[in-house]
Amino acid sequence: MNGSLPIEAVLVLLVITDLLLLGSSRFRTCIRVVAVQGLALGLLPVLLHGAEAPARAWGLAGASMLLKGAVFPLLLLRVLRDTGARREVEPYVGYTLSILGGVGALVFSLWVGSRLELPGTALTGSSLMVPAGLATLLIGLFLIASRRNALSQVLGYIVVENGIYTFGVALVGGVPMLVELGVLMDAFVAVFIMSIAAYHISREFDHIEVDRLDRLRG
Amino acid sequence: MDGSWLLWALLAFPAAAALGCLAARTARLALLVASAAGASWALLAAAVAVAAIFGEPVSAGAGWLYLDALSGFHLGVLGLVFGAGSLYAWGYFRRELAAGQFAAGAARRFGALWSGSAAAMALVLASNNLGLMWVGVEATTLLTAFLICAHVNPLSLEAMWKYLVVCSVGVAFAFVGTLLVAASARGLGVEPAETLLWTRLAGSAGRLDPAAMKLAFVFLVVGYGTKAGLAPMHSWLPDAHSQAPAPVSALFSGFMLSAALYCVMRCLPLVEGATGNAGWGRSLLVALGLVSVLAAAAFTVFQTDGKRLLAYSSVEHLGVIALGLGLGGLGAFAALWHTLNHSISKSLAFFSVGRLGQLHGTHDLEKLGGALRRSPVWGAGLLGAMLALIGVAPFAIFMSEFQVLRAAAEAGEADPWQYLTMALFLLGLGIVFVGVLRQAIAVAWGGPAEGDKEADGADGGRERPALVDALLVFGGLALVLLLGLWLPAPLSEAIGRAAAILGGRP
Amino acid sequence: MELNWRPLIPPAAAFLLSPLLLGVINRTKALFAGRRGQPLLQLYFDIFKLLRKGATYSRTTTWVFRAGPVVGLAAVMAALALVPLGGLAATMPFAGDLLLFAYLLCLMRFFTVLAALDTGSAFEGMGASREVLFSALAEPALFLALAALARHSGSLSLSGMISGVGPGSWLTQGPALALVAAALGVVVLAENARIPVDDPNTHLELTMIHEVMVLDHGGPDLAFILYGSALKLWALLALLAGLVVPVRTGSAAADAAAAVGGMLLLAVGIGIVESSMARLRMTRVPKLLVGALALAALALVLVLRGGGRP
Repeated sequence: MNGSLPIEAVLVLLVITDLLLLGSSRFRTCIRVVAVQGLALGLLPVLLHGAEAPARAWGLAGASMLLKGAVFPLLLLRVLRDTGARREVEPYVGYTLSILGGVGALVFSLWVGSRLELPGTALTGSSLMVPAGLATLLIGLFLIASRRNALSQVLGYIVVENGIYTFGVALVGGVPMLVELGVLMDAFVAVFIMSIAAYHISREFDHIEVDRLDRLRG
Repeated sequence: MDGSWLLWALLAFPAAAALGCLAARTARLALLVASAAGASWALLAAAVAVAAIFGEPVSAGAGWLYLDALSGFHLGVLGLVFGAGSLYAWGYFRRELAAGQFAAGAARRFGALWSGSAAAMALVLASNNLGLMWVGVEATTLLTAFLICAHVNPLSLEAMWKYLVVCSVGVAFAFVGTLLVAASARGLGVEPAETLLWTRLAGSAGRLDPAAMKLAFVFLVVGYGTKAGLAPMHSWLPDAHSQAPAPVSALFSGFMLSAALYCVMRCLPLVEGATGNAGWGRSLLVALGLVSVLAAAAFTVFQTDGKRLLAYSSVEHLGVIALGLGLGGLGAFAALWHTLNHSISKSLAFFSVGRLGQLHGTHDLEKLGGALRRSPVWGAGLLGAMLALIGVAPFAIFMSEFQVLRAAAEAGEADPWQYLTMALFLLGLGIVFVGVLRQAIAVAWGGPAEGDKEADGADGGRERPALVDALLVFGGLALVLLLGLWLPAPLSEAIGRAAAILGGRP
Repeated sequence: MELNWRPLIPPAAAFLLSPLLLGVINRTKALFAGRRGQPLLQLYFDIFKLLRKGATYSRTTTWVFRAGPVVGLAAVMAALALVPLGGLAATMPFAGDLLLFAYLLCLMRFFTVLAALDTGSAFEGMGASREVLFSALAEPALFLALAALARHSGSLSLSGMISGVGPGSWLTQGPALALVAAALGVVVLAENARIPVDDPNTHLELTMIHEVMVLDHGGPDLAFILYGSALKLWALLALLAGLVVPVRTGSAAADAAAAVGGMLLLAVGIGIVESSMARLRMTRVPKLLVGALALAALALVLVLRGGGRP
């Protein structure tokens, strides 16, 4: 199993960055952690194919790393600067409890991963892939639900995307190229639009705290 | 393929129109381009739809684009809603232009996004690749988000943010489902590039891995169900509908929700085939449909905001469609027919309430009282559409809901539990009927609140309606009435062909 | 009868060399701060000096106060009988000795805390409360990390666990072992009152944790406490060094030398950490410890899953 060691290292890094996100209180740290996560994930398709990775795997890795490692962080840092958002992420759930929740999500994902008899997962890298992807997905959802700042929700969305990406690499080892590019494109546009929206919200409300967006109800 | 250029034209035309809007010099020109392009695109869509339904399925781009009877039927509905919406949008925004409330930049943005969303929805319908279909759905979310806040204010921003976050995350679930579909197709031994082609999957649905396909379907239903506004996932829907400009609300309810449900329809034959047609996927849809109908019924009773009321009514009707799909057989036919009826009636209702809101400065149904007297055309449109939506007898929605009921009764003969479905369905419809009828009567004949009378005069409450408005309203009402009384043979044939793809029968 | 002296090497090394570790840490810090720093053997001098002095006891204290340092030192010395030195097995290894090890450390802490409370001083009570809180958080991390090692090596004794880690295990289980090492590292820092958790050199009672508890001890009692702390640092560092320096030659001298060398390097590492970081705010410490717990849990999960595979 020597070949799967780098993959496992990437997956462990993925989970550690998840836990870091749950535990860190500064936006800048969170944005950097998400960037590291994106860079690590970008390596997955290449690692999966080993040395003889086809050109499309390299292309995808390059595009994804450029997007998640450079474009998203710069964009979010810019929004952070322009909106004058508070520098603390202000969660509803305390950091310590969040980290424990993250561990719980991981254990749950492992249980699901062991129960799930998916066809063909044995073919792709490590048996940790599905659980790691699922845990990242769950933690991303938790980030979206438990943070009161619009920017945190954007970060949570990126984490959800990363989880799905891992999941996808594990399940099919890669869907058709065009679809992959479309998905990346969508993620890019989604983050872009969310950033613009957060910017608008900050201009209109003087804050980007979504828990105070509560005038529409019923 | 001789017809393949039609599909490319279908996608390229609105994209070109969007660029045209961006290049337009004035706000007026941008809106005019969007409106005219929308109306003419609707004609093109109708033509392509007819070709796809009654001829051979049209395919293009190495099989990635594909239009058969099911998507053709939906394309027809889209054409209808989008064409009417484009015409209406011109009238709707013209007043705001005159009042100087709509800057050139905002108008250009609106026109471009409006045209672009047509391309995205057409992509959803025309793609044969499930991944590409997902890309289309996500693109509609992203393109329409800024349509909600065509007028930037705190409330519309709040609605837009909720829409963006809830739908993006929801649709992300659908992507997990799509990946699982690809995983379940491993055993088929197809080329990786063709793994997600619906035609390949549907052709050998029986050999898909059942466990993975079941899981995939759960994710797909939750994901696309969020976008379709099915009940536990509908939280974004009333906010977005109430804050968006009326043409956008009409497009949302009239077609975008149905487009999301269309994606579920595409996957239904796959899961049913993989699980041996035991009705596993269908029962999921029945449950979700019932929950939607009942939840929406509970919310409509106390709703006084006209657009929110209509939004909850959309949750109810999408629930009815899901229920019909779930019941299968006759239900599939009824569901598709209901899609058409609901799209027409709901667009009309939003058109009317939007214009009434513009004239009287509020969407509160109590303050709109006496609309029939104050602005006869739009008042009549709203009253007629509301009556149609709650299923008053000769309107088409009554007929399609009756068909769903018949499907439930038929299913009840095989499985007595389905009688419970039928009873709950009737209960939900009954609550909506009583709740909305009360509001509809108040709106049509009630008096406006005392304080509002002067405001009424100031805003020119008795405006002379334009010809195109009258055509939209009475044409729409006549269409809903006509379809209720007499289903033309070609239309029946078209719905029948589409339903056959879902494993239904007329 | 020939005496088998090999099992005696680990505790003997600990008793002799443990104060040296603190000297290395302090020298490293001094180097980073641009000072010459105290001699490497400073702690030896301190201990001898203190042993020659008499002790004063407050009239409000009872025998508990006097028992604290003695029991503490005895507990940690007993614990050292269970700690291996690299590939060298401990003096008295048995299956499940990791529990005894953890609870002996616990006993030491318990008596330190009791002695602190016995003085009736507000500051010492505060320090005791913090110490208990943080150790309650550090303990699960330690146990999970040890459990991961136990699973990896298939042995329930500390010696078996550490000797089960060879260069080969880093190649097959690298990520998991790295996580264990990280978690153990945090535990080492927290348990020994090192910098991100506590500052051993602070002079402000409000921010002290460990130091504030021993303020009232003097003379031989303080010497026992200082020596006990050094031994505790040795015990935990020995485990960590056994993990990260997997030299298993089979020759007692080489293994011991490698392990001691690894520990000295780790001590330099601690010095670097202390020079480059500020002490965490008190409210942030639980987050760090829970983070370590999470890492250990992740490692355990990795090892558990890996165990099922050929």
